[in-house]
Amino acid sequence: MRLLIVEDDEEASATMCRGLGEAGHQCVTAPDGASGLRAAQKGGFDVLVVDRMMPRMDGVTMVEELRRDGDNTPVLFLSALGEIEDRVAGLKAGGDDYLVKPYALAELVARVEALARRRETGSVQTQLRVGELEMDLIGRTVHRAGKDIDLQPREFQLLEFLMRHAGQSVTRTMLLEKVWEYHFDPQTNVIDVHISRLRSKIDKGFAKPMLQTVRGAGYRLEA
Amino acid sequence: MRAPALFRTTPFRMTLLFLALFAAGAGAFLIYIYLATAGEVNRRARAEINREVQTVNRAYVRGGVNAVNQLVIERSITDPLYVGLLMRPDGRKISGTLETTPAEPATGVDDWVSFSLSGRESVGRQIRLPSGELLFVGVDVEDQRGYVLRVARASWGAGALVLLLGLAGGVLISRRASNYMAGLSGAVSAVRAGDLQARAPLRGTGDEYDELAGGMNDMLDRIEKLMGGVRHAGDAIAHDLRTPLTRLRSRLEVALLEVEAGRGDPQGALEQALQDADDLLKTFGAVLAISRLQAAGQAPDPAPFDAGELAAGVAELYEPVCEDKGVEFLAELDPDLVATGNKAFVAQALANLIDNAVKYTPPGGAVRVRARRRSSGEVEFSVTDTGPGVPEADRARIAQRFVRLENSRSEPGVGLGLSLVAAVAEAHGGRLEITEGPGEANGFGPGLRTALVLAGS
Repeated sequence: MRLLIVEDDEEASATMCRGLGEAGHQCVTAPDGASGLRAAQKGGFDVLVVDRMMPRMDGVTMVEELRRDGDNTPVLFLSALGEIEDRVAGLKAGGDDYLVKPYALAELVARVEALARRRETGSVQTQLRVGELEMDLIGRTVHRAGKDIDLQPREFQLLEFLMRHAGQSVTRTMLLEKVWEYHFDPQTNVIDVHISRLRSKIDKGFAKPMLQTVRGAGYRLEA
Repeated sequence: MRAPALFRTTPFRMTLLFLALFAAGAGAFLIYIYLATAGEVNRRARAEINREVQTVNRAYVRGGVNAVNQLVIERSITDPLYVGLLMRPDGRKISGTLETTPAEPATGVDDWVSFSLSGRESVGRQIRLPSGELLFVGVDVEDQRGYVLRVARASWGAGALVLLLGLAGGVLISRRASNYMAGLSGAVSAVRAGDLQARAPLRGTGDEYDELAGGMNDMLDRIEKLMGGVRHAGDAIAHDLRTPLTRLRSRLEVALLEVEAGRGDPQGALEQALQDADDLLKTFGAVLAISRLQAAGQAPDPAPFDAGELAAGVAELYEPVCEDKGVEFLAELDPDLVATGNKAFVAQALANLIDNAVKYTPPGGAVRVRARRRSSGEVEFSVTDTGPGVPEADRARIAQRFVRLENSRSEPGVGLGLSLVAAVAEAHGGRLEITEGPGEANGFGPGLRTALVLAGS
């Protein structure tokens, strides 16, 4: 993937690039909003990672400008401001996701990949399929290799999110934010328990485990 | 702030303005009265003279100059205030109370004349009889004029008295107002000089000055609290981060020494350092959230929400954790329970309470979450566990930052969970209650009951 990092702290953007490079992505950096906007307007990026506060045009203005031009490249906002209002303001300006500094590199990689994926599957789907796993979004049913799997509503949402991001790492924070819509950090690893329940339902009795734990990052659903 | 000079105070200036308006109005009124009265006196005098002239004319028709002469002599004798003079055509006196005519020229006719007769104000008119004789007819108006003048003088005196009293009143009012203001000014001066504890004195009269002083004091209270909050947050963050930072640093140092000596596990050390840094950031985030809530004094974006639904969501998040641990989980959530506040903060607070309960309840125990309306109308989220509980003496302490009791040191966490709940409660005008659980039974208990109580709506 080709990514544009718009961040005024050069050391931070260099570290980000190294980390994203390790994950197999290509990075272009811009040190402020104005040059970031110019680079983004040339196009060819899968995801833009934009810091909110920068000299010469802040991130929000830059993204607003970009959206006015009809550019829909997914944007991940980075910000030291983690308040709910700040998050809402960032998403309103045209951001697709919001990551509060400081963050783990794995979190950044997972979110960037999730954003790029979201772009590919733009059309409304009624069926999800990952390997043997099939999900009917209208009938709210799940099958694996023809076998019926009975899920609680929340487990269904959790699996839907994992299937939509199949093959990618998703972090615990992402799950808590996108499936439960909570923006806090529980002291106990509650997500692990929910995942292990889901795992016992979809993987039990099958030779190949699909729901895998990614060390230091989170989870991944593999076909 | 120095009290302004008396004549510069607002009440005094207002009094002066009022007095000036009053004086102008009263003056105009008095002048009108004077002019109207003086005019009336003149009019009456002329009417009287004209009547007399008619009487003279009738007498002349009846008996010529002799009849007129007789009339003048009669009048002069019977009426002490009569003013009249009958003259030959050349102006020499025939009869009457005057020696010479006040008219100018002496033989002029029909002019109205004002004159002074032995010091008394009089008016008169001279006519010529058909046979050529002159007659001057006058009226003494001294008494009427004097009356008008006395009235006018009395009015001016009264006006002066009113002005004097008004001025004195103005001084008095200004003094009082200045005294009220001096309290406010004093407090403002003291605060400006850096004493945030200074307050304006209240007089307990409940008037607008007291209201202003009370409002100002409330404002100062709030500012002082905010300043205190900011200072405390700064101190707390500095203090709270020093310990884990020191730990991280020494671990890295030891790891480096070990690696240099050819022993040790570089990857393990890095992983440990990463974990330490994550914990540090987590602590930092929690401290910041608490400080911001405390500094703001109220939760951002409060809105009505379904408290039962919110509790159900958080309970659902934790139920599997309980089940995994072998702890029974019960949720008793009342429907149609509406509270007002910041949903995200309340959810986080409730999650912290449940988190604590699950953490300290041994397998085989139970955790119960309740959301209900109290008879007082408040909305209560309570979490009861059957863990070892907290001795009464320690309960007030555990909501303070970083307080971890001896028996909880082995559990994960940084000791900020209940502090955040307390901060959320306070920011919503509610409170965190910590009481004993269900008591001891079958080797469990006595347990702990924690409750987040919010004002109902």
